[in-house]
Amino acid sequence: MSEEPFVVVKNLRKAFNGTVAVDGVSLSIEKGEIFGLLGPNGAGKTTTIRMMATTLPITSGDVIVAGHSVHDNAPAVRRHLGVCPQELALYPELSALDNLMFFGQMGGQRKAEAREQALRNLELVGLIERARDRVSKFSGGMKRRVNLAIALMAKPDLLFLDEPTVGVDPQSRNHVFTTIEGLRDGGMTVLYTTHYMEEADRLCARVGIMDAGRIVALDTPRNLKAKLGDPDHFSLEDVFLKLTGRRLRDVG
Amino acid sequence: MAMPSRTTSAPAGRGDFGRRPLAYAGKELKVFFRDSQALFFSLALPLVLVVLMVATFGGQTRFNTDAYVVNLDRGGAAGAELVTRLTAVPELTVETLSEEEATQRLADANIYNVVFIPEDFTAKLTSGETPRLVIRQRGMGNTEGQIVNSFAAGLATEIATEYLVSRRVGQTLAAMGRPLPQADVDAKVGSLFETAKADPPVRVEEQAVGARSDPVAIFLPGIFTMFTLFAVSLGSVAMVEERKKGTMERLMTTRLTRVELLAGTWLGSAGRGAVQVVFLFGLAWAAFRIFTPVSFFSIVVVALVGVLSISAVGLIIAAISRTPDQANWTGVFLAMIMSLLGGSFFDVTAAKGVLGVASRLTYNFWANDALRRLIVKGETLASPGVGRDLLVLAGIAAAGWLVALLLFRMRGDAK
Repeated sequence: MSEEPFVVVKNLRKAFNGTVAVDGVSLSIEKGEIFGLLGPNGAGKTTTIRMMATTLPITSGDVIVAGHSVHDNAPAVRRHLGVCPQELALYPELSALDNLMFFGQMGGQRKAEAREQALRNLELVGLIERARDRVSKFSGGMKRRVNLAIALMAKPDLLFLDEPTVGVDPQSRNHVFTTIEGLRDGGMTVLYTTHYMEEADRLCARVGIMDAGRIVALDTPRNLKAKLGDPDHFSLEDVFLKLTGRRLRDVG
Repeated sequence: MAMPSRTTSAPAGRGDFGRRPLAYAGKELKVFFRDSQALFFSLALPLVLVVLMVATFGGQTRFNTDAYVVNLDRGGAAGAELVTRLTAVPELTVETLSEEEATQRLADANIYNVVFIPEDFTAKLTSGETPRLVIRQRGMGNTEGQIVNSFAAGLATEIATEYLVSRRVGQTLAAMGRPLPQADVDAKVGSLFETAKADPPVRVEEQAVGARSDPVAIFLPGIFTMFTLFAVSLGSVAMVEERKKGTMERLMTTRLTRVELLAGTWLGSAGRGAVQVVFLFGLAWAAFRIFTPVSFFSIVVVALVGVLSISAVGLIIAAISRTPDQANWTGVFLAMIMSLLGGSFFDVTAAKGVLGVASRLTYNFWANDALRRLIVKGETLASPGVGRDLLVLAGIAAAGWLVALLLFRMRGDAK
């Protein structure tokens, strides 16, 4: 008997005042897999993640995480989640350590436990030396790493990373990649969105490409490239442009 | 086969309820204390107000006024003695003026009362005639001037009595065939009056039945309630900013429930307000010495109940506002309306009709009343009036919580 995937998205749909943002998305993610969700601006990636993360009510469909339905038992789903949003969702006035400890405590940890976990996470993202410095004094790349470290405070087994490398220098980006690969090797399941195709190609076992609220392709990067011809001669960006077109997407 | 669920975890929001709101409030206070700009304005404003009050009321809470005297009895002992005795009155600061200067300043409405000691003041006293003491004043003068007039009249009568007694004693001794030089009689009678003053036949005992109604004590409660309203406005803005900067979205993925979030916001906002009002009252205590340790404690208790009460109203603002600007302007509007109707600018305790009803619907009315009872009337926390005010404030807190719970949606749903 085969195990069910760790995450199952079933015919997920979201409409805002009649406008359909996500239209029947279905996918599954295996335990310990890094799954890439790609798409142009306004494709519905962030809306999909927000519904999966229980922060946006679902219009119809469902998401099952570790056997729990977001629709029926969102609090149980939340206990499995770590979310690294696209924005820097942190408190710049506080130190890196205080930021991590605060979100750890909001996740149910006691102060001492949160402190221990925060120090471990800061070590993981290479910021232990700056633990007590205010985040407002950090560079963009360092703030991104704090953003990621916060997402790991609840010791999640499902991590949502929504464009975690935007505006990050190559060194910090490489550090983020190494961290994510390390987490995957430790058994963590990751849902990763990005506009950088080479990132998805490097990190993701499979990718789903979204456009206009729908999944238009879902496979391994190599198989997707193979659909265009020799996979060694095509990039994931070629696949992306082929599937989503070359017209500009301006989304407010 | 379905993946095993982590059923060992405690249900979200239960078990450790209480720790998360406190941790949230602690975060709010940390952000407050580390935001130097917010901290500066929060603490600088009370400081500026106290400095203004010190400048206005002279940093003193007992009665003190200026007395203007023109002494035309030049060389006369009685005139000089009257000026000396007026100067010795602790409540008066005596300034002697020339006749021309006094006339000009009265004409300019620069001063309202002047005590004129006529040039024949001593001569008439010595000769047994009734001297005049002239008070010149614009209209009825002012309240302070009337008090100066009373002091001047009383002291002049005292001096006249001493002259009269001394002269009569001299005359009596002469009639008895035992004449003494008038200077000796004056010295003896003077020493008897001094003895009588040191051990007066009637002792006047002052009994305090309440704190003094000085201007600072009257204004302070109104200023306090206004402050708490602005502090609450800041608290509401802070919660709305959580949405704006994305931290709310992140909090939604934690175990924090909306009741815990509201409780954390409530405590954080109240904590911020408490820091401000304790600072304000502490400064007022240091500058004006109007509190005792016990009255200060009582005032802090009422202030804390007050900030908890109005912070619950702030939750409503946070619940209905979608942008920091909305929260800010709603807070300012509420602060101005409540301050106006609730008696922060003028006393509304005796107001009747629509104003009477409207004033009693504000938080300020009850907070002001409790504080004035403590500060001005000298009541205690055990007084029925203060107890009633605290109950009403608790009721406002409960109502604020109830409405906020009905209106606030953390995740776009009620979960």
